[in-house]
Amino acid sequence: MSPAPGSHGISRPNPTQVGTIVWLGSEVMFFAGLFAVFFTLRANSPQLWAEQSSKLDITYAAINTTILVLSSVTAQMGVRAAERLQGRRTGGLFNLAKWGTVEWFFLSFAMGATFVVGQIYEYGNLVTEHIGFQSDSFGSVFYFATGFHGLHVTGGLIAFLLVIGRIFAVKRFTHKEAVSAIAISYYWHFVDVVWIALFFAVYVLPLLS
Amino acid sequence: MRTNIWLFAILSTFFGASAAVYAGWSLIEPTGYQLSVAELTGVVPPEWVGTVGISLSSILALFITFYLWRTQASVGADLPEDRTDAGIDDGDPEVGFFSPWSWWPLALAFGLALMFLGLAIGVWITIIGAPIAAISVVGWVYEYYRGNFAR
Repeated sequence: MSPAPGSHGISRPNPTQVGTIVWLGSEVMFFAGLFAVFFTLRANSPQLWAEQSSKLDITYAAINTTILVLSSVTAQMGVRAAERLQGRRTGGLFNLAKWGTVEWFFLSFAMGATFVVGQIYEYGNLVTEHIGFQSDSFGSVFYFATGFHGLHVTGGLIAFLLVIGRIFAVKRFTHKEAVSAIAISYYWHFVDVVWIALFFAVYVLPLLS
Repeated sequence: MRTNIWLFAILSTFFGASAAVYAGWSLIEPTGYQLSVAELTGVVPPEWVGTVGISLSSILALFITFYLWRTQASVGADLPEDRTDAGIDDGDPEVGFFSPWSWWPLALAFGLALMFLGLAIGVWITIIGAPIAAISVVGWVYEYYRGNFAR
């Protein structure tokens, strides 16, 4: 049977990447549950929300958010390097243009870790303001939603390390390592976008209402 | 893939419209629960669970639409399954590497089962499950990167 003209040599969508996207679709619905809880409880007790939200340090959270958003940019730079099959840097340590996937992912890891540590510090501050996990519905849903997001970021940090390990494990960076790097970047961008939505709901909405 | 893009786009539109109708309807005909909230706060809230759930269903479909659309653009041509003049052989390319078998998913499931069981019963079980899960993840990720497969 002769092949149809033009149908050969097409790069088919990678199953790993498509699978990652479909799984992230299910993650959208996981966070849908958290947002539904948040908005329901918020509608139930607007006064409690106004009072407790005023204890949040929005400047601090905005800086932390910026760090996470910028880590998406550095992760994407790592993907660019992966697409040209460059695992390691070819220039000096501070020659960013010659960085490979490993260097960009280490930087993204550091920024993601900074975000998580910053969030823990914020939790500590809020506990001193008497917002606890079981103190009221605001506290419950605040720690529940941002905490599950923080766990996702932590999972992403572990995934970064695993991908970096894969790149260290091989002598030559191939398409297979690039696919891992791209899949983790999808996840990282997703978690980043979820945080922007959470930041808007938790920190910005009280300022608007 | 063209058909898939359309299917998910239609789904997204449907869920988006459903969310708008649902939110509006929940305000026109509030449930007893919404009314009891209104008695406390003075404002009838929309029914948030369904509104958020259906809205994000729309985003879920839109997300996959967007990804398939970008992938279609990067492939630069129609896949054989989108062409009426394609043969069976055209849709039989190298699709990637698949592990023939592996024990690691089983070990990982066991570790995670212990971790979640521990959350329900006693945290000490979680502490036992955590290293099993950690070793299994590493074992799975690097299964084809060591031993005979080292390259």
